Amino acid sequence: MSESLLSINDLKTYFFTAEGAVKAGDKVNLEINKKEVLGLVGESGCGKSTVALSIMRLIRPPGKILGGEIWFEGEDLLRKSGEEMRKIRGGKISMIFQNPMSSMNPVYTVGSQIAEAIRLHQNVQKHEVEEKVVEILRKVGIPDPSKRMKDYPHEYSGGMCQRAMTAMALSCNPKLLIADEPTTNLDVTIQAQILELMKTLRKDFGASILLIGHNLGVISELCDKVAVMYGGKLVEYSDLTTIFEKAKHPYTQALLESIPRLDVETERLRIIPGTVPRLINPPPGCRFYPRCEYAKAICGKQEPQLTDIRKGHTVACFLYTSNRRTKSSDG
Amino acid sequence: MSETILEVKNLKKYFPIRGGILLRQVAAIHAVDHVSFDVKQGETLGLVGESGCGKTTLGRTILRLIKADAGTVHYMGRDLFRFDRKEMLKVRLEMAIIFQDPYSSLNPRMTVADIIGEPLDIHGLAKGVEKKRRIIELVEKVGLAPFHLYRYPHEFSGGQKQRIGIARALAGNPKLLVADEPVSSLDVSVRAQILNLLKDLQEELGLTYLYISHDLSTVKHMSDRVAVMYVGKLVELASAKEIYKSPLHPYTEALISAIPIPGRGASKDRIILKGSVPTPIDPPPGCRFHPRCSYSQPKCAKEDPEFIETKKGHFVACHLR
Repeated sequence: MSESLLSINDLKTYFFTAEGAVKAGDKVNLEINKKEVLGLVGESGCGKSTVALSIMRLIRPPGKILGGEIWFEGEDLLRKSGEEMRKIRGGKISMIFQNPMSSMNPVYTVGSQIAEAIRLHQNVQKHEVEEKVVEILRKVGIPDPSKRMKDYPHEYSGGMCQRAMTAMALSCNPKLLIADEPTTNLDVTIQAQILELMKTLRKDFGASILLIGHNLGVISELCDKVAVMYGGKLVEYSDLTTIFEKAKHPYTQALLESIPRLDVETERLRIIPGTVPRLINPPPGCRFYPRCEYAKAICGKQEPQLTDIRKGHTVACFLYTSNRRTKSSDG
Repeated sequence: MSETILEVKNLKKYFPIRGGILLRQVAAIHAVDHVSFDVKQGETLGLVGESGCGKTTLGRTILRLIKADAGTVHYMGRDLFRFDRKEMLKVRLEMAIIFQDPYSSLNPRMTVADIIGEPLDIHGLAKGVEKKRRIIELVEKVGLAPFHLYRYPHEFSGGQKQRIGIARALAGNPKLLVADEPVSSLDVSVRAQILNLLKDLQEELGLTYLYISHDLSTVKHMSDRVAVMYVGKLVELASAKEIYKSPLHPYTEALISAIPIPGRGASKDRIILKGSVPTPIDPPPGCRFHPRCSYSQPKCAKEDPEFIETKKGHFVACHLR
């Protein structure tokens, strides 16, 4: 059986703004096994990045982690001291950010930024550091790495910057790699290059990956399992094929049908009426209730709990809780 | 056959780059380089390409929002670039644009009623009660309610803002609508609403669209014909069905295969292009795609391929075809 690497229990992360508390992560439960790629899908503002930053303990005020546990290799990350976290960050857990251009320091060369990560986390001799940098840059496909490592980030193209970020994240052989929308700002042909790179790295490095994104195509390209978030909550969780073929939550279903696809002819796209809820004072009950076409009276009053409807398929929706009549929504 | 509403011929736009003490022109960005195509009445022509390929410049040059360096644009058979101010003002009623970013294309200090009413004022289309009636008609057409009229743009979500932008574009009863990435800044679940709205409006009002986007999936969904652009040039133009099924240009082929398809898992036979898009300041000689092309031949580096019709209605610029 596969072993669990990271498990998040009832994570609660709120941001306290002048208008009220933004419930960006509300009782989120997730599990990532060793060598597994988990996709975290949702629209902007649904709390995906908040989950990622909570794992890294990078939530800044006014944000605060109010409760829950994040177990990583048998230890609760939320109880670690700042010093201990700093050792884990960039070492055992590392992260690739959405915008590679702005996540690198413009006044240091790419090579020296990667070298910094290696020096901080690994016990290597000074002269070995440079070799390691060249080696890792070569692995992510930067041509002529011994020369290009002396370049500054602005001399790199978007795709190359993303490769360099990936190199930095992988330089210390992390156990868990968090990739927050790694291809969103890239052109499709460059996106294809990065996806290809991530696939090979997954094989070579054997790290678990938490891939965050809203592009379902990218997700299905890389992931083993998929978790869908809506309005700060997890609504569905299962393996890739189940999510794409037998999605149960009305939001997941609607999301899949609302995107135009290259492989299917559709005259009209399915519409999800309304907009994404604001997370200050989210709707009571199920957060998708105001936009859901199957909504019942109970949905507006009670919050649905995540329930296993089959082994390995979890849904938070009253349509599927045991004693209720389920409305057929397949197909 | 339906008639041609817009005919673009050899359109060229270079942006000068100045440098030195005298600010002489030292180089030029080849944003649009000898582009020719036509748009038929009532159709949607999709224009795809990666960022920086000149799609937006092309859209704006056609509307004379940017002055072209060379070439012609015929609107309903008349040369648009020869119109004087007065004639242009008149024709602007018939050609409208929806902008990419609804957040920055609406004046934050104007109410929705003012924003939609502005084109009515400028063109003297309606006044007083009549104007109000028209504004209400427009907001209802795009799926907003009359009580939204006295609110300001910041009170709306992205999707609603884009609806306001569409209502403003519709104010002058346009025939041709240039939609420049109308959904790319919107949430996935809201995109479908706007795409369906655009389709409904087209049917209802008989609109012609020039739909500009980098997203090949939405372009396929929206368009009757698709034109593919690469570093300032058109490389292929054909019906949507044909271009996605049997693309002729190697770039189109790679572009289509690069798109991950939801639910299909990892694809195996993807064409991975080497390198990145060349800069339009100093584009490669010959075919601009040849440094990245896997079928490239010596000829490709020397001669610029012509944009020719190889099959009926299927244009391509490639030496191999």
